Amino acid sequence: MAITTTPAAVTAQTTRAPRDEPEGRGRTLRAFKAPPATYAVLLIVSAILFVPFVFVVSIALSSDQTVNTNSFTVIPREFEWGNFVRVFTSDLPMGRFVVNSCVIAFFAVIGQVISSSLVGYAFARLRAPGKNAVFLVVLATMMIPAQITMIPQFILFKELGWVNTFLPLIVPNFFSNAFNIFLVRQFVSRMSSEVDEAAMMDGLGFFGIYRRMILPMMFPILVAIGIFTLTATWGDFMGPLIYLNDESKMPLALGVQYIASTGQALQAPPWNFVMVGSLLLTVPMICVYYLGQKYLYEMNLSGGSAGVK
Amino acid sequence: MATSLSPSATKPTEPPAPAAPVRRMSTSRKREARYFYLFISPWIVGFLAFMLGPMIASVYYSLTDWDTFTPPTFVGIDNYVRLFTEDPIFWKALGNTFYYAAISVPLGLVLGLWLAHLLNKQVRARKLFRTLIYLPTLVPLVATAMIFQMVLAPDGPLNGLLGWFGIDGPAWLLDPDWVKPALILLSAWGAGGATVLLLATMKGIPNEFYEAAEIDGAGSARQFRSITFPQVTPIIFFNLIMGLIGAFQIFSQVYILTSGGPNNASQMVVPLLFNEAFSYYRMGYASAISWVLFVIILLFTLVAFRTSRRWVFYETAMR
Amino acid sequence: MGIMDTNFSRRGFLTSTLVAAAGVITLTACGSDSGGGGGDSRLVMTVWGGEVDKAAYQARIDALVEAYPEMSVTLQLILSDSYAQKVQTMIAGGSGPDIMQVAENVNVYSSKNQLLPLDEHIATAKLDLDSRFGPVGSVYSYEDTVYAIPDRSGAAILYYNKGLFESAGISAPTADWTWDDMLSAAQELTVPGERWGYAGAGWWPLWWSFAHQNGGAIIDEAGRPTADSDAVVEALQYCGDLVFKHKVVPSTIDYANMGTDMGGDPAFAAGLVAMNTTGFWNVGSLAEQDTVEWDIAPMWRGKEQAVATFGSGLAISRTAKDPALAFKAIDFLTSDKSQPLVISMKQDVPANVEVQQSDAFLSPSWMTDPVNMQAFPESSSFAFKSTFIPQWNEMQQAFTDGLADFWLGKQEAAPALATIQERLESIIPAK
Repeated sequence: MAITTTPAAVTAQTTRAPRDEPEGRGRTLRAFKAPPATYAVLLIVSAILFVPFVFVVSIALSSDQTVNTNSFTVIPREFEWGNFVRVFTSDLPMGRFVVNSCVIAFFAVIGQVISSSLVGYAFARLRAPGKNAVFLVVLATMMIPAQITMIPQFILFKELGWVNTFLPLIVPNFFSNAFNIFLVRQFVSRMSSEVDEAAMMDGLGFFGIYRRMILPMMFPILVAIGIFTLTATWGDFMGPLIYLNDESKMPLALGVQYIASTGQALQAPPWNFVMVGSLLLTVPMICVYYLGQKYLYEMNLSGGSAGVK
Repeated sequence: MATSLSPSATKPTEPPAPAAPVRRMSTSRKREARYFYLFISPWIVGFLAFMLGPMIASVYYSLTDWDTFTPPTFVGIDNYVRLFTEDPIFWKALGNTFYYAAISVPLGLVLGLWLAHLLNKQVRARKLFRTLIYLPTLVPLVATAMIFQMVLAPDGPLNGLLGWFGIDGPAWLLDPDWVKPALILLSAWGAGGATVLLLATMKGIPNEFYEAAEIDGAGSARQFRSITFPQVTPIIFFNLIMGLIGAFQIFSQVYILTSGGPNNASQMVVPLLFNEAFSYYRMGYASAISWVLFVIILLFTLVAFRTSRRWVFYETAMR
Repeated sequence: MGIMDTNFSRRGFLTSTLVAAAGVITLTACGSDSGGGGGDSRLVMTVWGGEVDKAAYQARIDALVEAYPEMSVTLQLILSDSYAQKVQTMIAGGSGPDIMQVAENVNVYSSKNQLLPLDEHIATAKLDLDSRFGPVGSVYSYEDTVYAIPDRSGAAILYYNKGLFESAGISAPTADWTWDDMLSAAQELTVPGERWGYAGAGWWPLWWSFAHQNGGAIIDEAGRPTADSDAVVEALQYCGDLVFKHKVVPSTIDYANMGTDMGGDPAFAAGLVAMNTTGFWNVGSLAEQDTVEWDIAPMWRGKEQAVATFGSGLAISRTAKDPALAFKAIDFLTSDKSQPLVISMKQDVPANVEVQQSDAFLSPSWMTDPVNMQAFPESSSFAFKSTFIPQWNEMQQAFTDGLADFWLGKQEAAPALATIQERLESIIPAK
């Protein structure tokens, strides 16, 4: 599946018009034209994916009576905006939960981005004996279900005295994880290493290549890692469940689980509050993703892969 | 189809780079190796500190009978023998897991790639579309589960929609024959997750390739096949491996939506071992199950890596 | 586009890492557990449930600490679904709770010596279990040793839609109703496609009640399974016939069509079923609504009178540092000084029979329309005792798996129970 086009002029570092600029600035390439069929398909697909979300909103705005009789509708027909206030004035310290979630997520993202960029770069670019074996071990860590290492890890953290703190939830993120390593490796390996070689000859050294050349080009994937880590940490309740005992330390995801659980076996949980909590969990992430799109998709970085064989 | 750029082209005094490590390494290679291990030291430290101990512990436990309260009693490979010869539910769960992985992973890849391709175009309101497609993965499972149970109710919206086409929809989550397809539907709903990476990669493909192709008269289908697809194969491969590993370890959806029912029709390996560990207090047995699963996933991953050379295109040599 | 020009200087890199590290260390300081400190009189109590439970338990703990100021008790409310897992992790890690709520799973822990035997403490405190708690006094025992003190214990009772009963001219149900009485009432009240007479006995405590009412038992007193005895088969088949033959009970599919997680409780509140047998927990929410006019009565009888009870007890884990203090707390919490809060906070039926018979229970302050609360103490006199075997969880799984087809109408009771009995015999080792 080799590239069939090799115009010589392309080898130079050309600045390229960012693909997503508004139309009207030059002719749109045929590859990126959007015929009506595309719109139709996107509308249908988006609608299918969006309907459940509308349902969530509808339930969030339902009255207690509707909850008791389980008579929800997909399109909202009640608008109990008070539910949003009631959730915050209930027994559970929801505001505190949000703060806790922010703190944990913030440090987790920093840790993952820094460590994953370093480790992933090494796997993509540097050679060493035993590298493939190490990579296999990296992947292997993902193949063991977390449920099995849960108790030994708990005992480990207990010996360290980290139980009932944020540490077991944050610190492991500073040592990267297999998912992100693999991802960075795949992404960086797409980039041509010609400029690496040239830079080496100029005496830049590995760390210099890393920080001056690869890191800037890695930016979209680091943003992706940031978003993934953020959403994973924000929605994680299993770790907090196991390691946190005090209610004041719980993050929002765990708080929503509490709302969804009841004391009695056959009782239905207060779904309207569950959905309000779920919206509190979801909407910030939507905003992050929406705003982060610029850095994910629209950073047009030239250099590097302009070389074609 | 790797293009290799060996440094030997620029350093004529160096012996040609060997494929396997040799006893005598050049100083620059040694230096490179040292830097490699330096760069990955964060992961190594984390692995030694947080993963290795628990992993070894769980291997040991798999050879014992342990209820997590009283000290473990060593039983050798009894757990494994019992697993393979006396536990019909394990085989059912394993079969279910294979079924689920075999369908949901390719489906997710195809959907993700297709959606990414659509979103790669200059569509108006593309930011909105991209957000809507990624939205399902952002909704917490506690909400998604409840919504899906309503949508998949025997007289629910999905069957209503099928009814318009004259199809009599099944009882989905309540029907042993349709509960696994229902779970696959749930996974397809989250296909937007793969789209993010694929689209980010597509955006990084230089315009010049497309310009040149257009000049040469290539149609859009040809351009996709020859330009877009090869360039994103590393990320497709990533999604394939991650998808495989994730599908084999599916847990929360089964645990919340079906509890493995009806009558183990949707029971998967990880929910099964979770029950063994935390419901029946047979942690040793559960550890054995998890290591069997580990070996299975490892085998599939290795096969995928081996065959990847045929179709994954890297710009540089994966050295 | 500034990114191209960004130079992550080595210094900048190090700085940001150090800042992050400093942040983490600060978190350690402010987030850390205050150790096992606070003196040895700090007790940790784990319970499961939701907000109502948390408020109720906390109120009772406040009363306890007021009476005994030297005690300090921390309440840890754990998600119902994850309670066993979290407690197991705590115990395995050596920091099990001092006081822990237990229910049918009590003997999973006691059979592995994770709970302290309480006989000595009971003797020292001169606590008479039978007089304080009635028939359920020593229900949390294993091999004749008591491991937990009953705390909450309500029988299954019958909720009935008074409005529908009156307009159909059916007299109110009593403890003397037979299965036939129930069936004819249910048939009168069923409107096909709209309303069902009875919510059903799909949940295990309910059809086990039918089994006991028919003179059978799922587990005999020796702890052996007897799921395929004639009495049990007949009773289960009757429950299935209510769904598929007489059609007075919604099937699993009918419930799924009503909504998510739909069961008897919300169906009754919506007026979709006229009778519902279950525990106390709907009383609070039903008292607050006025769509359905309702009341409660003891459940009907078969050849015998028997109902299931729902409840929980308080046990002491073996890692408790001061068992005597923990027992003192439990004694208080199950006495008449604390049990009234269980009902006044709308949580449950208190296990303490004196409180059950008192006005505090029979007409709680929050109940605006009178309800026949007497049904609870009356029913507890004929509650049947399930033997809580250590293999409880596996047994329940065997029933869930084995009855899946039965409750979908695809199998008869006899073959389903025969398969289940076989599986139970392999799960429960003969002594």
